[in-house]
Amino acid sequence: MSYAYLFKYIIIGDTGVGKSCLLLQFTDKRFQPVHDLTIGVEFGARMITIDNKPIKLQIWDTAGQESFRSITRSYYRGAAGALLVYDITRRETFNHLASWLEDARQHANANMTIMLIGNKCDLAHRRAVSTEEGEQFAKEHGLIFMEASAKTAQNVEEAFINTAGTIYKKIQDGVFDVSNEASQSYGIKVGYGGIPGPSGGRDGSTSQGGGCCN
Amino acid sequence: MHETDIHDLSDDADYAAASKQGSSSVTRSDSSKRSSSSEPEDAQIVYLKDNVSIHPTQYATERIGGRLKLIKQGSSLVMTWIPYKGQSSNPRLSEKDKNLYTIRAVPFSDIQSIRRHIPTIGWQYVIVVLSSGLAFPPLYFYSGGVREFLATIKQHVVIVRSSEDANVFLVNNFQDPLQRTLSSLELPRSLANGTPSSSFRGSPSPSDNNNQETQLDTVNTSGSGQQNNNRQRQKTQDPARDLSIQVLEKFSLVTRFARETTSQLFRDSLVDGQGQSQSQSQGQGQNERRRNNWASKDHKPLEMAPIDAPIAPKDVPVPSDPLEFDKLSLVWGKPRQHPLGVEEWSNFLDYEGRIMDPDALKKRIFYGGVEHNLRKEVWAFLLGYYSYDSTYAEREYVVSVKTSEYMTIKNQWQSISPEQAKRFTKFRERKGLIEKDVVRTDRSLSFYEGDDNPNVRLLHDILLTYSFYNFDLGYCQGMSDLLSPILFIMKDESEAFWCFVSLMERLGPNFNRDQNGMHSQLFALSKLVELLDSPLHNYFKQNDCLNYFFCFRWILIQFKREFEYDKTLRLWEVLWTHYLSEHLHLYVCIAILKRQRGKIMGEEMDFDTLLKFINELSGQIELDPILRDAEALCVCAGENGAGLIPPGTPPALPIPEASMYQQQDDEVL
Ligand SMILES: Nc1nc2c(ncn2[C@@H]2O[C@H](COP(=O)(O)OP(=O)(O)OP(=O)(O)O)[C@@H](O)[C@H]2O)c(=O)[nH]1
Ligand SMILES: [Mg+2]
Repeated sequence: MSYAYLFKYIIIGDTGVGKSCLLLQFTDKRFQPVHDLTIGVEFGARMITIDNKPIKLQIWDTAGQESFRSITRSYYRGAAGALLVYDITRRETFNHLASWLEDARQHANANMTIMLIGNKCDLAHRRAVSTEEGEQFAKEHGLIFMEASAKTAQNVEEAFINTAGTIYKKIQDGVFDVSNEASQSYGIKVGYGGIPGPSGGRDGSTSQGGGCCN
Repeated sequence: MHETDIHDLSDDADYAAASKQGSSSVTRSDSSKRSSSSEPEDAQIVYLKDNVSIHPTQYATERIGGRLKLIKQGSSLVMTWIPYKGQSSNPRLSEKDKNLYTIRAVPFSDIQSIRRHIPTIGWQYVIVVLSSGLAFPPLYFYSGGVREFLATIKQHVVIVRSSEDANVFLVNNFQDPLQRTLSSLELPRSLANGTPSSSFRGSPSPSDNNNQETQLDTVNTSGSGQQNNNRQRQKTQDPARDLSIQVLEKFSLVTRFARETTSQLFRDSLVDGQGQSQSQSQGQGQNERRRNNWASKDHKPLEMAPIDAPIAPKDVPVPSDPLEFDKLSLVWGKPRQHPLGVEEWSNFLDYEGRIMDPDALKKRIFYGGVEHNLRKEVWAFLLGYYSYDSTYAEREYVVSVKTSEYMTIKNQWQSISPEQAKRFTKFRERKGLIEKDVVRTDRSLSFYEGDDNPNVRLLHDILLTYSFYNFDLGYCQGMSDLLSPILFIMKDESEAFWCFVSLMERLGPNFNRDQNGMHSQLFALSKLVELLDSPLHNYFKQNDCLNYFFCFRWILIQFKREFEYDKTLRLWEVLWTHYLSEHLHLYVCIAILKRQRGKIMGEEMDFDTLLKFINELSGQIELDPILRDAEALCVCAGENGAGLIPPGTPPALPIPEASMYQQQDDEVL
């Protein structure tokens, strides 16, 4: 599978907000309410197309529980995009957004694109956070915002793809220097179909000289 | 008690020498000498000690007795240790096995240091560390004589006591210029053999490999004489080499040949080594571990010969050609047995239902696990809900008492009214979290499948009750994963609860808020990998992977997500025996990593890639080979490994008071 770019995404937010369900809806197009809770991190991937270019999204679905935070923080490194998720039916998951954001700002690279998602919008009758509040928070913190439902798939595609679009635009605008290896620290890998660059390095069999580096 | 016929080996100079018991002069006893000098030289035995033994395994029946000698040959001193022939408490120890450990004429110019262990209880022993960094297995002096041994050496070779550790004697310590001069006078051979020192400071350099080979040949009686001797001559020696003590005590000399033999030993010990001697040697293991704890404090092994390397000396050391290693199977622990069945189980019980030999039981389960229909009963013992010496009647009583105790605790949260809950945030939060998680725990299993499944309800009730039983710890994600198999086996709510309580006594620290329980295990893991696979360790170091977060899930929930459900049950009962180590799970981690090391390093995985790779191993790992590897690694790491695991690292339990001195009966002294 060749791609022009590979973007690393992370999904963060309180436990139970539906991060894993969003990922599954995006990668497998199904809603699976009885899957296991996440411990550590799980992975998903999907190809999308932007500007006629194949782009691979590698998505890290992290565990939301507070006590795993010290571990989760190590996953931020080198993410190009983040989906910050809360549950519109649980106020506290919205209240915790600031602390998630702080983590992201501290441990991810500054140019990471963050998409705020108010999930479970199919449960409108149990809504505890209004759309306006979500919009307001996003505006204040410079995030893109969407309400979505992993159950009905509403806005799920859009959330992932719009994020990719924003990242792609940043590349076009030269925010990221993707011409060299440094791009990886932005969570972007240039693939075969993209700008020629040092991709792979798998068969770069460096002949061993021996113990120069003790 | 020991001298027997050795003449069938009389074509071998050392055996010939050994047969001349008590004689003070031997001719041409040093095989390496033969090649270095065409002139036969007179040799003189300057020290001879009988009843010096090697313990290849922890089993008392597999100890190999022999004779230790120091032989003066011209200007050099050589050491030999020859096992007694024929005499063995274990007829299964073949001569071949014994020959494996034979030390045939090691010149002191090849020895870096000697470490002396004088435990308050137990035999004195020494560990001879070669300049290559490898070590011979400990030599136990059943009839004392360590002091005399060292004194004799001192008469012939320059040895100095290490300034860091009074029990370490450095041989050929060239750091002091004065000594250098002295040594050059006394040990002309070592200088003649010396090569420029800078060439092999990095660990896996070709010359190191050579050293290993040479040294292996020294003990490998099947090796052919001349060729080896040539190699021995070429052996490089680095006076400036770090004098770090590198000891892989028990199985440091594992060649492919040795490995086969070792598994042979393992296989054999399946049949015997049970019963009393078993429990005694376990006690001793405990004691040795404690001993080693202090020792390792100031002398941590800096780099260890990778146990992979000696498999085939021709193989390039790891990082340069990691793919080679995928072809080599690490399997060399004991073959797995069939699970413990009902009939065999009944033999473990006396007429009132006490388990007569808990250690034998644990050993049996360690190697084979338990048949499914027996698990409910046996797990209760393994987890400590039942005590091994309880009778049927006592257990019945315990169950009834514990059931009502459980109901009392459960009632604490059941009696919280909605009004009260409104003002009890912590309760509401915990309950909410548990409710959210039990519906996301093993729901694809028929036992937990479907809406309103009563077992899901039980998971909920037990976890919430536990969060009251242990209010400080409360509820954390991962606990439902640990409880699920227990409830699945125990079926009964109260019994599952108490078994879970026991398990959490060991694993509770995994869920500490500050993650210190997890961090201490990950730290111990990194130390063990450093010990058992230094190239892999260096790789992780260079690639910023030393936090071992990629093993987080493995350890947090004891591989629950890595194996199929029934394999997890098997793995857990094996881990719970604490048979070889209470930290076997760390060796399981290493076993899995080792099987993937070629891929990891070959594909130059960075942290992200590695994490993903490890995650995707889930469901791909075969349990039995991993268990065998883990067993072997655990044995291999021995006391050094145990010493690297900080006290209190989960799932450590308090040491039962009795077991510390159990080994005394077994002592000769
Ligand atoms: N109605 C509705 N329920 C949802 C939706 N998304 C998730 N859920 C439910 O919310 C629960 C939690 O979803 P998960 O995806 O496991 O939550 P998570 O954020 O991954 O949680 P952690 O892995 O613990 O961090 C599941 O049991 C789903 O059934 C949604 O869009 N609508
Ligand atoms: Mg999840």
